[in-house]
Amino acid sequence: MFLYEDGRVRKVAAAGLVGGEQVVLDPPADLSIGDGEFVAMMGPSGSGKTTILNIAGGLDEPDSGRVEVAGTELTRLHGPALSAWRARHVGFVFQAFNLVPVLTAFENVMLPLLLTPLGKAERRKQAEFALDIVGLTDRMKHRPSQLSGGQEQRVAIARAIASDPDLILADEPTGDLDRSSADSVLELLGRLNKELGKTIMMVTHDAVAAERAGRVLHLDKGLLVEDARVAS
Amino acid sequence: MSRTPWLLARRHVVTHWIRTGLTLGSMAVSLFVDLPRDCQAKVAGVDEVAQVCKFQWFGGYYQDRSNFFGQFGVDPELFFEMYAKDLKIVEGPADRAPDETVHQASVRAMLADRRSTVVGSRLAKDFGWKVGDTVQIIPTIFQKVDGSAWDFLVVGIYEPLRSNVDDRTMWLRYDYLQEGLDAGTVTGPRGVGTFSVNLKPGADAAAAIDAIFENGPQRPRTTTEAAFQAAFVSMMGNVPLFVATIGGAVVFAVFFSVINTMLMAGRQRVHEVGILKALGFANSVIGRLMLGEAVVLGLVGGGLGILLAIGTESGMRAMLGTFLPNYAVQPFTLVWAAGLALLVGLVSGIAPALTLVRLRPTEAMRAEA
Repeated sequence: MFLYEDGRVRKVAAAGLVGGEQVVLDPPADLSIGDGEFVAMMGPSGSGKTTILNIAGGLDEPDSGRVEVAGTELTRLHGPALSAWRARHVGFVFQAFNLVPVLTAFENVMLPLLLTPLGKAERRKQAEFALDIVGLTDRMKHRPSQLSGGQEQRVAIARAIASDPDLILADEPTGDLDRSSADSVLELLGRLNKELGKTIMMVTHDAVAAERAGRVLHLDKGLLVEDARVAS
Repeated sequence: MSRTPWLLARRHVVTHWIRTGLTLGSMAVSLFVDLPRDCQAKVAGVDEVAQVCKFQWFGGYYQDRSNFFGQFGVDPELFFEMYAKDLKIVEGPADRAPDETVHQASVRAMLADRRSTVVGSRLAKDFGWKVGDTVQIIPTIFQKVDGSAWDFLVVGIYEPLRSNVDDRTMWLRYDYLQEGLDAGTVTGPRGVGTFSVNLKPGADAAAAIDAIFENGPQRPRTTTEAAFQAAFVSMMGNVPLFVATIGGAVVFAVFFSVINTMLMAGRQRVHEVGILKALGFANSVIGRLMLGEAVVLGLVGGGLGILLAIGTESGMRAMLGTFLPNYAVQPFTLVWAAGLALLVGLVSGIAPALTLVRLRPTEAMRAEA
């Protein structure tokens, strides 16, 4: 897998990832992630972890190559079609939480549900359910500034799962958290994978966090240098 | 399925304050029409004319130039007869005879002394004038040769009965001015600015009166009193145009202020837009949100302006008095203002909306929150 050219992340010559049955990468390397897997990606800064995550989530488009996720060839989707696909299939969790500060926790979780065909009552129910899963029903009316970092990340996870996507992409979800909050978030991601069967790709620098995953990919300078299964 | 999260726009509107300022200009006014005094007799000779009264703009002020109000030199007996249904003298001299009304006593007192004046109730209240007071008016047109002010003796205070007369006017005796002009102790126009004409019932004498002046050095125009008031305002420095110009300049400045505000708002929303795009909101939704916020801001601002205009209408009318006697906020003006506010909002939202729509999600999320 080649992610670098002239020292910058410019081109993904091949990246086919994730989802249903398999991920297809064109030569020089293939990377497959099976449905329901929890995969951690590690590597030094600039190794291309986040780029892979963004391409897998349809946030970035590769300059070349083919990306297929759960039977959909992402590289053929653009603009509104790609947005719609993202809304339907992917939930994002970011290091900086990325909650909308002027909205409450509940309203933040409601946001992706606006993109579903659900009615208002169903959306409310779904948002409450998502907040219940992350254990924050008592913080629904709080704004992000009134929550701790760990609580903010749990709200972000509730938002990521609210519309019941197939795939959760987490970019250093514990990077801004203390150990205790990080453990709580990792435990939550583990439950989502085991109990709800969500496929999770997580970028992390934290070896302890990576141990929660069933598989760890090591990248360096855009190359996949190690693909290891973790014993449960 | 792609709903627009209008809640976001609403939250931004209420959590961010916009300050706007308006600057008002000051105005300079001048008016001069000078018809020969003997026109009065000629106009009175027209068949359809019942009465003719002089109306001479005095143009002075009380103590300070900011104390601006209308003063007219009139033929007192004629004037109070012609305007008996338009104003009523409610306070008059103390030496009223048992069979006299207050109105009659004041008119009598006015005829007895050339310095006499009858003033509006609001004017009397504002300056603390009472019947019997002598008030000094500083002239701007009818200057005394010795540089002194004019003394006027208040013999009555009137209340308007109809809207064509306001409560801040001072009615003087024209012959008081004439006396000084003829004696050479006063400088100023020796003619008359306006004649007020009462017509016989059903008559239309405008053409006949205008014909009197057809070959004269001046070509005055004969109009109804309402049209005269409007034209008077117009003559006084073309106030409507002046106000429209100021209004236009303010709208222009506000327009750029709103654009600037919306551009700032757009920049502040970059990170948030990145989040929305990552969640799957389409560019069309992002554009609608930004435009919607701009339109709401425009309409809220316009709505406040409209409420202010309606709320201050009567106060403004009272304050402007004779200066803008027909001041009124017309429904058309309100509709026009709302339309303009909508347009300003819409146009100001276009640039930031386009900027946000063009951003890639990852690029937008890298912006500082």
